[in-house]
Amino acid sequence: MVVPLGGVAADILLAGIGGIRAPAEVFQQIFLVFLGLGTLVGTVVITYTLYNAYKYRYREEVDPAPDKDHPQMGELPKGGGKGKKLFLSFGLSAVIVLSLVGWTYGALVMVEEGPSAQTEGEFDSMDVDVTGYQFGWRFEYPNGHVEDSSAGGKLYVPADTVINVSVTSDDVFHNFGIPELRVKSDAIPGQTNDVWFVTEETGTYQAACYELCGQGHSYMDAEVVVMEESEFQDWYESTNGTEADATNTTEASA
Amino acid sequence: MSHEHDHGHDFPPMSSVKRWFITTNHKDVGILYLVTSIFVLLMGGVFALLMRVELFSPGLDFLSTAGAYNQAVSAHGLLMVFWFISPFATGFANYIVPLQIGADDLAFPRLNAMSYWAYLFSIVLFMISFFQGGTFAGGWTMYAPLNVPTYMPNVGGTTVVLALIMFVAAVTMGSVNFLTTFYRMRAPGLRMRDLPMFSMSWFLTVWMMLLAFAALLAALMILGAQHLLPVNYFNVDGGSLLWTHLFWFFGHPEVYIVFFPALGVMGEVFQTFTGRRLVGRKWFVLAMVLVALQSFIVWMHHMFLTGINLEIKTLFMVTTIGISLPFDLMVFSLIYTMIKGRIRFTTPFLFCLGALILFILGGITGVFLGAVVLDYEFRGTYWVVAHFHYVMFAGGTALVGGIYYWFPKMTGRMYDEFLGKLHFAIYFVGFNLLYFPMFSAWETPRRVFQYDTGMAFWHKVATVGAFMLGMSFLIMAYNLFKSMVDGEEAGDNPWEYASTAEWAVPSPPPLENFPGVPDYRGGSLSFRDESELRGETAADGGTATDGGTPAAETSAATGATASGGALATAEQALATQAVESEPDHADHASYWPVVVCFAGFVAFLGLSGIRTGDTLYYGLTATGGVLSAVGFVGMAQESFYVPEPEFAEKWPFEGVENMKLGMWFFLASDIVLFGGFIGSYLFLRVANGWEHWHHAFIPEAHVVMPGLINTYLLLGSSFAVVLALVAAEKNSSRGIVASLVATFLLGVGFLVNKGLEWQHLFHIHSEAFPNGWNLGTNIASSTFYLTTGLHGAHVVVGLIMLLYMVPRALFGAYTGEDQDSLEYFGLYWHFVDIVWLFLFPLFYIL
Repeated sequence: MVVPLGGVAADILLAGIGGIRAPAEVFQQIFLVFLGLGTLVGTVVITYTLYNAYKYRYREEVDPAPDKDHPQMGELPKGGGKGKKLFLSFGLSAVIVLSLVGWTYGALVMVEEGPSAQTEGEFDSMDVDVTGYQFGWRFEYPNGHVEDSSAGGKLYVPADTVINVSVTSDDVFHNFGIPELRVKSDAIPGQTNDVWFVTEETGTYQAACYELCGQGHSYMDAEVVVMEESEFQDWYESTNGTEADATNTTEASA
Repeated sequence: MSHEHDHGHDFPPMSSVKRWFITTNHKDVGILYLVTSIFVLLMGGVFALLMRVELFSPGLDFLSTAGAYNQAVSAHGLLMVFWFISPFATGFANYIVPLQIGADDLAFPRLNAMSYWAYLFSIVLFMISFFQGGTFAGGWTMYAPLNVPTYMPNVGGTTVVLALIMFVAAVTMGSVNFLTTFYRMRAPGLRMRDLPMFSMSWFLTVWMMLLAFAALLAALMILGAQHLLPVNYFNVDGGSLLWTHLFWFFGHPEVYIVFFPALGVMGEVFQTFTGRRLVGRKWFVLAMVLVALQSFIVWMHHMFLTGINLEIKTLFMVTTIGISLPFDLMVFSLIYTMIKGRIRFTTPFLFCLGALILFILGGITGVFLGAVVLDYEFRGTYWVVAHFHYVMFAGGTALVGGIYYWFPKMTGRMYDEFLGKLHFAIYFVGFNLLYFPMFSAWETPRRVFQYDTGMAFWHKVATVGAFMLGMSFLIMAYNLFKSMVDGEEAGDNPWEYASTAEWAVPSPPPLENFPGVPDYRGGSLSFRDESELRGETAADGGTATDGGTPAAETSAATGATASGGALATAEQALATQAVESEPDHADHASYWPVVVCFAGFVAFLGLSGIRTGDTLYYGLTATGGVLSAVGFVGMAQESFYVPEPEFAEKWPFEGVENMKLGMWFFLASDIVLFGGFIGSYLFLRVANGWEHWHHAFIPEAHVVMPGLINTYLLLGSSFAVVLALVAAEKNSSRGIVASLVATFLLGVGFLVNKGLEWQHLFHIHSEAFPNGWNLGTNIASSTFYLTTGLHGAHVVVGLIMLLYMVPRALFGAYTGEDQDSLEYFGLYWHFVDIVWLFLFPLFYIL
């Protein structure tokens, strides 16, 4: 089942494993709250603006403020007063914006600290190195097996496992992103950036490049295949014939 | 339609082509900027339409071959951000600001013309790049290392970098000019806080321009060096990240540089067409000042995914949200201004009200991006594209309102109101059809033309909107052209409740702007007779204005300082003519600006292809270089009379004449330029390991002694310049000549010593460096040669100036009253020496 790029399969991603919230779920929740509040604020402010624009349209016979004088030619610029009302609105919007962003800070810390900070229990994890190049992606597994997207390779990962991705580049600045799984990281030559994700649902997802990197930028896709753990184990063993376990079981760190 | 007087010299009328090539008058230059930038809007717009055609369906094959799409998207961004929107605002600023503040012209009219011609020729350079193997195709953000020749081998890529450098020179010249004008040429009674809203916003804009563009220049010069010389900067470890820092340190202030003038237009237009003064004006201005300052501390929000640590991300999240708050205040101020107003929905007001709404939408979506966890997903997607088009193009929308607002003033005719409203209607619908669907299709990666079919519908709607938006401009073109020919006469002021000074003079204003000296000291604008004012100040015993006493000012006594010219890289050649009998009127024309800038264009064109080894390019470089030298000398020799205003507010620079103040501003930007180079060095050294750098990258042969000798040589040369000034006080021509020659020789000694040092380093054969320590041996060598090389280039410029000054000193110049140029040179030379005092420990000792 291929989930098309951009078709946010929100339902199947909204859960981590064993008490771990996937970054995808965090994003979805925060995004929806922002969207709701943003739409509300936008609607209120714009409606208010248009309402006032209409209400105070010029009418020959009506002067809404007959005792107030209008700007005169050549006057030294001065304000129209009513600064206090300004501060009320400004204060209100400041409170909204600051609380919104402050609320997201907790989620930011959670994503940054990684899954071990979230849970007391055990969970499986696996490391994968992702290297971007002009114009494809190379996935390297702990046992040394390499999947190269230019050669039809894909990123195979087990479900219910925290995947720790280390992203870098062979040449220019790329960006590795799997939108449905809400994973994204800059791929910078000479340095490695770490991100993590986890998902319960199997399926095939698209990865793409999100930083202009040359003529092949538009075609720099790769497929991400999430498999059942046992299925994945079988595939992994077949890559080089050993019984080496790709995943580690992480003890909780307080 | 024109009202010039004949000043005794032949200033051609507006209908003459020659007039437009030689004019230095601010109104003419403003029109040149406006017309040229609209042409760029067309070009950039066509690229956007080409992109939208390709994006109509995923996988169309319209523009997808040979990197055409990447070129289109990069050209669209570069043209719109750099070559369209700020120059468009600059056009208004040139025309309107002097009128609003009561000045006859800008402080340095020839410099003003030069900044226009540098702008124009930089566009020509950019256009040529398409024919040199394709233009720069790495996005307007020019990320590294895609931006270096290894990954962008086409000559056109280099040309674009050089075109941008030329553009930055134009901007720097413009900002130095405007800042000097703002501080020293306001009408009496007009304090800084009394600046009208458009002028106020432009004032803050040019401050940001001065400092931010210098940082970009550092990035571009390093990148240019990497294109032309075998240096290694952006392709080494840490180089990619360095570029993002340099670029975004500039890039964020840049977006406010783009938006502020639009905000200023909105302030003016809201006040005029609501008939109410701006609510909380004091706080509005304070909010703008805060944004201008804060704009320099938010840049890493463009870098949240680059692997920077959590503490830094948090800091920049806070500063980013912090910068959105003053905008909240300004938005509310504009909305409240409408209350109890008598609003007339003229075309300018419609565009500005529309701009406000678009900006609110864009601003809200910006808050999303400020929440780091959300930004992690929005990075590189159309959410960002939609957001910035809403805010930036909202700025553009307000500027379109500005066209309609000031069209009557500039042409003396009214545009057709119905067509204006029609333009707005189609524009606004098209705009939202184009950009709103991008939020629905936000998951589309940026700069791709293969996208998921699920989003095709939204992209189709966007393409339709794009064409609607584009076509709406045809209505404007028709309207304005037709109105220029047979529009209704506008008179001085067609707008009820307009209050700023530009509406108190005829439409279009006469060459000298005002029928007297504008004076606000009575509480409002009046035009005073000069002799009356002089009489007044004499009677008062000398203090009539805050700005010092006109009678006592030497500038009034001598009356004139001929303005000097400037190098394409924003150096200023200094010259004074011996004071002759003063003509009555200021000069308005010079052909040297266009000559110098054309020469610069030729030189840069030559430089662009130097890598290919083609003799044509070498020839062009040499020709351009020689012609610029001729041009600068010609400009310095030219007798160009620019009177400093006798009666003006000059706070806080009452005692600093225009040329000196201009030099200070220029040096401020030069400080930021060196800051960029030094900062790059520090960043790369930390990234590669501070001690490791010293042990692994620098040869044993790189010792302190040559640097120490150079330090003494430069300090000695600075002392020599001080002696020259002392001699000038004493009217000793021989003393001046001797001191200047000593300065020159010490400077030459510095360069010779450096040359010897470099030769030695190029030819070492140690175990670690068997082929010498060259420009491109490693990152340490590149940073060393490039940074000290930039300093060396500054020394060379100083020496060239000395070559001009010594012969003149031999003939008695710079004595007595005429010392000013010597002083300016001294400022520059001391600056160069002080920079060395930073470079020496950084590159030789630490």
